[in-house]
Amino acid sequence: MMSAPVDTEDRQPSAAQPSLRAAPTVSRRRRALRPYILVVPAVLLCVGVLYPFVLGVSYTFFDFSATNPEPDFIGFDNFANILSSDAFWNSARVTGLFALAATAVETVLGIGVALLLNRSSLIGRIFERALIAPLMVAPILAAIMWRLFLLPEVGWVRPIAESVGIGNYTGTDSPVGAFAWSVVVDTWIFTPFVAIIALAGLRSLPRSPFEAAAVDGAGWWLTFRRLTLPMIWPYVLVAVIFRLMDNLKMFDVIFGLTTGGPGNATTTLQISAYLDAISYARYSQGLTHMILLWALVFLTLMILVRYLRRVQNRAAGV
Amino acid sequence: MSTTVTETADPSGSTAAGSDAAPARPRPELRSSRRKALAGSLANVSLAAYFAFSLIPIVFILALSLKSNADQTTTYLAFSPTFENYRTVLGIGDGGSSYVRFFLASLVTSVGAVLVSLAIGIPAAYAAARYRFRGSEDLLFTLLSFRFAPELAVIIPLSVIYQQLGLYDTFVGMIWVLQLVTMPLVVWILRSFFQDLPAELEEAALLDGYTRRQAFFKTVLPLVRPGIAAVSLLAFIFAWNNFIFPFTLTSSNAQTVTVSSLAFLGGNQVQFNLVAAGVVMAALPPLVLALFIQRYLVRGLSFGAVKS
Amino acid sequence: MAAIEVQGIRKKFGKLVALDDVSFSVADGEFFCLLGPSGAGKTTTCKSVAGLVRPDEGTVRLAGHDVGDVEPNHRNLAMCFESYALYPQLNVFDNMASPLRSPRFRLSDDEARERVGRTAEMLGVAQLLHRGVDQLSNGQRQRVALGRVLVRPAEAYLLDEPLAHLDAKLRTAMRAELKSISHGDLTTTTIYVTHDYVEALSLADRIGVLREGRILQVGTPEEIWDRPCNAFVAEAFGKPRIGFVDGGLVDGEHGIRFVSSDGAVEVPVPGVEANAGEAVRIGVRPHDLELHPGAEDVPAGRVRVDGVVYVLEHLGRQTEVTVQVGTALLSVVVPREDVPDLARDDRVGLSLDPCAVHVFARGEDERRISS
Repeated sequence: MMSAPVDTEDRQPSAAQPSLRAAPTVSRRRRALRPYILVVPAVLLCVGVLYPFVLGVSYTFFDFSATNPEPDFIGFDNFANILSSDAFWNSARVTGLFALAATAVETVLGIGVALLLNRSSLIGRIFERALIAPLMVAPILAAIMWRLFLLPEVGWVRPIAESVGIGNYTGTDSPVGAFAWSVVVDTWIFTPFVAIIALAGLRSLPRSPFEAAAVDGAGWWLTFRRLTLPMIWPYVLVAVIFRLMDNLKMFDVIFGLTTGGPGNATTTLQISAYLDAISYARYSQGLTHMILLWALVFLTLMILVRYLRRVQNRAAGV
Repeated sequence: MSTTVTETADPSGSTAAGSDAAPARPRPELRSSRRKALAGSLANVSLAAYFAFSLIPIVFILALSLKSNADQTTTYLAFSPTFENYRTVLGIGDGGSSYVRFFLASLVTSVGAVLVSLAIGIPAAYAAARYRFRGSEDLLFTLLSFRFAPELAVIIPLSVIYQQLGLYDTFVGMIWVLQLVTMPLVVWILRSFFQDLPAELEEAALLDGYTRRQAFFKTVLPLVRPGIAAVSLLAFIFAWNNFIFPFTLTSSNAQTVTVSSLAFLGGNQVQFNLVAAGVVMAALPPLVLALFIQRYLVRGLSFGAVKS
Repeated sequence: MAAIEVQGIRKKFGKLVALDDVSFSVADGEFFCLLGPSGAGKTTTCKSVAGLVRPDEGTVRLAGHDVGDVEPNHRNLAMCFESYALYPQLNVFDNMASPLRSPRFRLSDDEARERVGRTAEMLGVAQLLHRGVDQLSNGQRQRVALGRVLVRPAEAYLLDEPLAHLDAKLRTAMRAELKSISHGDLTTTTIYVTHDYVEALSLADRIGVLREGRILQVGTPEEIWDRPCNAFVAEAFGKPRIGFVDGGLVDGEHGIRFVSSDGAVEVPVPGVEANAGEAVRIGVRPHDLELHPGAEDVPAGRVRVDGVVYVLEHLGRQTEVTVQVGTALLSVVVPREDVPDLARDDRVGLSLDPCAVHVFARGEDERRISS
């Protein structure tokens, strides 16, 4: 559709201009197709990912494993077996406890760090640059690092513990220790995530309500409870959703630190699925774990996102 | 307690926060400024405590990576640093090592995954930002669900498929599965960047006589280039940092540095200082890249939900 | 250059009806103003002509061709956006030269430079050519946006509030400039969107009044001024605004008369297309009123009504007097020296020519019922 150049000196002859008669047309249908053409590759990619997922769901109705490559349809037997096994309920408990504990600690600590950084002291400005370092380290590497840090042979935690009078330092060898340290490491990595999002919220706050509160003589705690927290809640909630979802399926941190042990003290659903499906090649069993976790994650996500929408609408309405 | 402020009011009777004190009552104000100073230093101390918690493990791993075999179990900070561990891990003077190969595998799979995500994700993000069409929300949420889905739900069937297709332990297989990590990030964040640009820019370009494609490349792309750069770096970081996919879907050819770092810890004669050196080097690329995208980090990590 | 024909276009955005059966036509070389309050659908109409918005129904014709399936870049129209839509990454020169570098309208570099220079000169932005657009004031941006349109010949120009962000002085100067461009020997069909009736009256060959997605009236400035099709159109033109009085029609000796509800106004309304007993609203433009501070007789043919001064506003050499007549308020503008010691609550008379009275039906559309 190359057109003749426009005649510069003479604006009159429309003949020199591209003619409307010869203008190419694009039908309504083809115009409507435009966005779909742009997303075709992305849709294909989604199908490519959803296909294995659907295949995976179908596996849960068979007894598919490396020793049984020609599986039989067994209906809901996998679900029945797993739901009646203590190991599953232990994993579910560990998963839930870990997710709740880690998310709670990260949220509280993250908001706290954000509040402290928001005071914009010199020390705060220096720290702010370093804040995200743990977040950028691969979680698995962070877990290995902490594993070494906690090792009695080379780590620094034992001497620190002994210097404050804790003699029987066991690191991740005890069930409680393994769980607690998993939460600590997760917190170490992801508190900055909550902190930078909460900080973005704090920095977006308008000044006037706080000046009004100061004039009214409201104390710090009251101002925080009644003003700051409600106003940054939409931000914090985004962080909480990300953290809770991630912690429900956390694999790297716990696997790197404890490999699910000692015993099954830190065997979350993803880890038990890994052990079942990859280590012991019991595919159907592992997948059934995953489908149950998936259902849990999405139920939680849907509830939280709905709540987030309400909070954001409320915030936007103010 | 009386709230009427008069000359004769007894200041010692007031326990209110100092801010409502009139200038005629110096003592509460004095107390309040002292309390402010105390609160300030308490804040600084808490902040310092948090950063000690945050940074000491990093100092530890750096120190350990620089210790000789003899020093690693005997001293904490008093040692003569040596780069011997790094040389050993990298196989310098030894014709290279498997670590270098894993490092390069990480590089290839991460860069490959980002490039594929950009090629597929930029048009999709643009379409989602600019057009209203049926299914666009479904597509976006499907992509977002990849971010939140438990990885093993896909990995287990995928490992079976990969074995059949010969994609197990290949770069192509890794780049494909890493789309689960990079694609949602690219599409969601770029959509928010595209939405920030007024559509009238492209409309003006259309009326100037440019085609839609030219309008995109001439007006939109130059303006979102910083966003694309930031997203690419962030996606690279996440791809590099990923562990579970290479851990389950590779064995040696396409094994990445995150997986090999854990493998170092296996075996009987673990040399912790070598593990530390490996961890430090594997952690370095994301840390360096993160410095370039600080401005976009909040937006990136929250998938465009929070803009700072 | 081409005629534009818009026929029955409708557009919905979600549940919002933006355009509801909009039709008008613009002759080749005509300067057509679309006038209406914000949200009336002016921009949507403009963009429908440009092809940026696709109407759900109806057709747009350029030079007789249905361009419904022609892409915006092939319609050979130039549009000035209210938001300017300047390319932020380019400087002023490159912004204005953008159309001349596109595959559709490409010129040689020399010609393009010459064109841009001439247009920039005309718009008074020649000294800004190498500035970035972020370094410009709003008025300068607006002129650059206009420059990007005028720099090339087009079938038609679509100008969406091109003077809205200029200060008053510059706006008047630019209006004169635009007028000389549009009425000079190079006439390009133009659709000009504005909410300012003065711009519309002074620039337009014809005006289309738009409200809530509907065209209320299309006509020359004189037609619209003299015979507004309903009370809304009458109110949209003129400042001070047209004064309204509510009442009804009664039969009289010399034909049908209007009597206000409170009895304070009584005028014959010859040529009204309605029967006695109907409730109506009349409108009288300040322009058509004369003030009579004393009790003197009014000139023959005019009708006198009496009231009290409600508000006096001194506007330099003129004074706007708002008179309360019964319950209605009627404004009139008089030279200041004519009313040196008029004060609030003074009793005054107003006179009007029955032929200048606009009669509107009561009810939803308040349509004109006088000839």
